[in-house]
Amino acid sequence: MPIDLELESVLRPPEVPMVPYPPKVVTLANGKQMVVREITREDVPRVLEAVRPITTYERDYYDIVASRVYAELLGWYRWRIVNEFVLIAQIDGMLVGLVNSRMLNAKTGMSLHTLTTDRGLRIGSHMFAAKMEHHIEYLKQEEVLIVAESPIGFRRWMIEYGLEPTNIPHELGGALSFRLSKELYFATKDRLVVGDRPVPKELLDKAMEDIIVVDEKTVAQKICGVKGR
Amino acid sequence: MRPVAIVGAGMIPFGRRDDDNLMDMLAYASLNALDDAGLGDKGVNAVYVANMGAGMLNHQMSVASALVDRLSLQPAAAESIENGPASGGSAIKNGLLAVASGYYDLVLVVGGEKMRDVSGWRATDFVASMTHPTAEYIYGITLPGMAGMFTRLYMQKYGVTREHLVQVAIKNQEMGALNPYAHVESRITHEGIVDSWHSRVNNPPVADPLRLYDVCPVSDGAAAVILAPLDLAKQFKKTPIVIAGFGQATDTHSLQEREDPTDLKAVTLAAQQAFEMAKMKPSDIHVAELHDAFTILEIAESEHVGFFKKGEGAKALEQGKTKFGGQIPINVSGGLKARGHPVGATGVAQVVDIVWQLRHELPKDRQVQNAVNGLTVNFGGFGNNVLSFVLRRGEK
Amino acid sequence: MKKKIEIVAFKCKKCGKLHFPFHDRCLACKSREFDQVAPQGNAKLITFSQIFNLPWGFDNRFLFVGVAEFENGVKAMGQIAANAPEELKLGMTLKPTWDVVRVISGENVYGLKFEPM
Repeated sequence: MPIDLELESVLRPPEVPMVPYPPKVVTLANGKQMVVREITREDVPRVLEAVRPITTYERDYYDIVASRVYAELLGWYRWRIVNEFVLIAQIDGMLVGLVNSRMLNAKTGMSLHTLTTDRGLRIGSHMFAAKMEHHIEYLKQEEVLIVAESPIGFRRWMIEYGLEPTNIPHELGGALSFRLSKELYFATKDRLVVGDRPVPKELLDKAMEDIIVVDEKTVAQKICGVKGR
Repeated sequence: MRPVAIVGAGMIPFGRRDDDNLMDMLAYASLNALDDAGLGDKGVNAVYVANMGAGMLNHQMSVASALVDRLSLQPAAAESIENGPASGGSAIKNGLLAVASGYYDLVLVVGGEKMRDVSGWRATDFVASMTHPTAEYIYGITLPGMAGMFTRLYMQKYGVTREHLVQVAIKNQEMGALNPYAHVESRITHEGIVDSWHSRVNNPPVADPLRLYDVCPVSDGAAAVILAPLDLAKQFKKTPIVIAGFGQATDTHSLQEREDPTDLKAVTLAAQQAFEMAKMKPSDIHVAELHDAFTILEIAESEHVGFFKKGEGAKALEQGKTKFGGQIPINVSGGLKARGHPVGATGVAQVVDIVWQLRHELPKDRQVQNAVNGLTVNFGGFGNNVLSFVLRRGEK
Repeated sequence: MKKKIEIVAFKCKKCGKLHFPFHDRCLACKSREFDQVAPQGNAKLITFSQIFNLPWGFDNRFLFVGVAEFENGVKAMGQIAANAPEELKLGMTLKPTWDVVRVISGENVYGLKFEPM
């Protein structure tokens, strides 16, 4: 596709430089080591492969979340979203979850989504925590604005973190945002944010080598539950 | 009273079953049991359906009539039985009495629950509605909360520690990982839920001192058995499993009215009655399914049924006596902790698991060698309505 | 304004057994006649739990719920004002109050709230 570079330079939103998220490793309840790391634009097509089938699962609003994540990742890949970051979770290279978010401005973060393809191991909790950690501790922001699309999300984030309600419409559909302030983050960090750094070399190498996408049937079962008589 | 045997047993995998409604699950489990008994296109005299919450959770009543229609079992007699999380045990007992009395020859008992139609907090509220409406429920007490209060007292009185609870959780999830019918497929490690500092997120408190991995999951599922008089059981293809004894007892609604709140009197009485009827004692049992909705309950029940003296259940656990391959393997299926706890299904599922054990038809990694006698405990409310069954392998 | 504690226990007229909540017949002797007994004085903590994952209708992250025994032997469940389990000890004295414990269908429901002393 020929690109009109002149016009493209107008369409591409200007970005502020963002410090990278230092990778960490979390030991899950099953003893497995989960690497949490930031991906680059080049990784997006592979991650989209994992997100695509989930856009059709109605369970727990997975379809809305996955569709929006798909669009947000594509937007980032094609330079149509400003200051977005994406963290992924991998076990033995296998992609098991992702979070994305962006900087609204230097002070405020706009939390986008949390999507996991394995359930029952608190991966979503770990990943949401990593996203908040990045906003507050590495990007040095003062606050993050958050909404939930599903009742599970609401319960997890709003109640576990004790978020403050605001009158600020969120980018995701205009619902009123809840706020995680820097103070609230540090007050809850001890309970909700874990992980070891640096990630041992062989673990990180394995994660960086390839993002393995789980087969569609397995993901469908993890998300929509068991079938069979 | 004539002796009664289980001539068919069936289950469907427990878990989140988004594609099925309650009637689907009850029908599938029933068909599995009918097929297992070789009754594919035949009828039964009566149907007992164990279900606790279709009215609240699924907005459906009279599920037994609906099931008869699904299975075209008309004009069989049919009723639904609601007795909290002990509904399954109650339905089996009622089916058993109907056959034992000589009134019916062939009875289908099926238990099922569709809990994942509602959010977790609705499901928690649904289960909490069993508590006393004005003396307990209004305070926000939950069943895990009741178990937390019980655990605190049990720890204080008998020296049970967090480590003991962890051992129950690891043991049962280890076995559940081998069970294709179990809701929870994942093993858990000591490092992941205790040792690592990451465990504060992996295994947070749910009802202190109980943590996430001390509590059974909220599940969908169904299980069924076919009952027949023992003298007709030979006509069926599988080895009959005799219901050698049963017991049922109740206790006060509120925990605080029990003289010793750590004493689960209804468990003791139900098991005693079952053993007496079966002319057996606890040491005759080769495999048991105990109602471990919370890890503490497996330890407490193992004492109350008489496997171990009061206060020695935790020690027995430590010594490996209750694990697969131990002196008295408890919850080889993974128990409620791993198989899951669709409340109306549980009492039936426990019996189905013991039937499979006593028929010796499980894979090697879960089959208790030469098991002949088995025990179940189905615990309703917080121990205010308990059923127990002693099963015995019959002659083919 | 401080509210009066409204629960009442039931003492069997025949054998003296104390009940809470109400039973139509005495747990011990099956008699049907009771004297109403108000809980007296402070209460001793028998057991408790810090409960997370609360049912529908609660927006808080956790609640402390416990059972306590009043000075005249009445035992009852109630919420406890605490922030961490370390603040509570079995056997400690609690001061009972009567306060909103839950909102059901938009209506305030009152019940026991214990405060550690």
